[in-house]
Amino acid sequence: MSDTSGRTRRPRWLTVFGLVTLAVVGVGLYAALIVSPPDVNQGDLIRVMYAHVPVAWIGFAAVAASAFWGMLYLWRGRAPDDVRAQATAEAALLFSVLTVIGGMTYSKPTLNTYWTWDAKLTLTALMVALVVGYFIVRALIEDPQRRARVSAVIMLVVLVSLPFNYLAAEWFRTLHPAKSINLDGSGVTMAPVMVRVLLINVLGGAMVFFYFISERIRIGRLALADDKTFDSVRGVAREVVSVR
Amino acid sequence: MNDLIAALTVARKDFRQELRSRATTVATLFFSAITLVMMAFGLGRDPELMRSAAPGVLWVALAFAGVIAAAQSFQADLEEGAFEQLLLLPVSRAAVYLGKLAASWLYLFVLGALMLPIALGLYGADAPASTWWLLGLVLLLGTLGLALIATFYAGLTANLQAREALLPVLMFPVIVPIMLGAVRATEAALMGSADAPLALSWVQLLGGFDLVYLVVCASIFHFVVDD
Repeated sequence: MSDTSGRTRRPRWLTVFGLVTLAVVGVGLYAALIVSPPDVNQGDLIRVMYAHVPVAWIGFAAVAASAFWGMLYLWRGRAPDDVRAQATAEAALLFSVLTVIGGMTYSKPTLNTYWTWDAKLTLTALMVALVVGYFIVRALIEDPQRRARVSAVIMLVVLVSLPFNYLAAEWFRTLHPAKSINLDGSGVTMAPVMVRVLLINVLGGAMVFFYFISERIRIGRLALADDKTFDSVRGVAREVVSVR
Repeated sequence: MNDLIAALTVARKDFRQELRSRATTVATLFFSAITLVMMAFGLGRDPELMRSAAPGVLWVALAFAGVIAAAQSFQADLEEGAFEQLLLLPVSRAAVYLGKLAASWLYLFVLGALMLPIALGLYGADAPASTWWLLGLVLLLGTLGLALIATFYAGLTANLQAREALLPVLMFPVIVPIMLGAVRATEAALMGSADAPLALSWVQLLGGFDLVYLVVCASIFHFVVDD
């Protein structure tokens, strides 16, 4: 434990990246609040969209990333992959909760109700429930290897459930205003300047995501290293006891 | 081939165990019946509302019963370490999963077939004779979907604390498409043969769900039960 300070210090690139992220988020805010013109139909409310859409996209990408790291863990069985899966899952929970909150605050002034059973919002709410389940199970399993394996499996099921839940939510009932950008990127009907503003905010959101998970993975790996020392100490203690 | 025999053996063991102990039957048969009655009290006395709510209430009751049945099936195995011995058999984990799934599915299907007339009777809806085959198909695929997810998550939570409360929390967000498809298909089937194409389009959702989860759950079940 003598080199603790050196080992636990945040790498310089991460600090620099964090500052750059802050700057990009600032530019995105400026673009969304000042540069972007008000929308023809929604007026200034369109500015909520610049925060809401990137957060929603990143939430779904985070679930996919977590399932990816989980599968990698199932394949290779290396503990750092579980740390990455957990870090991205935490980001997925944060961003999907923010998506639900953002969607509700967005639909109150536009559709005059907080909850409309809109397909994408319903899908996100189900995803929040699924990711919460992931963390409940994580908290209940002590053995780190079994915990990593079981949680990877759960995240895989979450990923598989997304298309089915989307179909179900879509067919349940939809009150969403006509979408401007389809999920596959086709059919863009926004003014070019608004698309650019949106893309800056997507970049800013993605950078926040990468900053969060990088920091979380760094901390998680430090905890992992600590656990290993603890485990080996415990193992020695056990041997001493059994020799006696 | 060996795996198929193993799966059938596990299924037969589970079913025979159930026939002897009747633990799940007692727990779920009256539970789902009383759920139907309680929901009727909850929904009030508007006959039209009751009639239109019948398919939804039936499937909610079946979903709850599926949770209890799947949890019970693993609970019985975990006592006396029987599940560890089951895993010592030189067969794939997928066979164990498929065996337990088959027993749960059969059980839930029979339960659904019993509950369907009770739900229709209590809620004042009638089933046209021309679409009974459609109702059977929906019950078959809908209960398979419930059993797939319930068995998988029951295996996952079998040795965790608070599993009874945990199982529905994990399982319900996944079975939303089954609930929607089964309820809508049942509704359409109750409308008579004119709505059969509509019912069949919902049945396709059920079939796709069942197929995908059958493959996914069977192939990753060993990660869940192995130590």
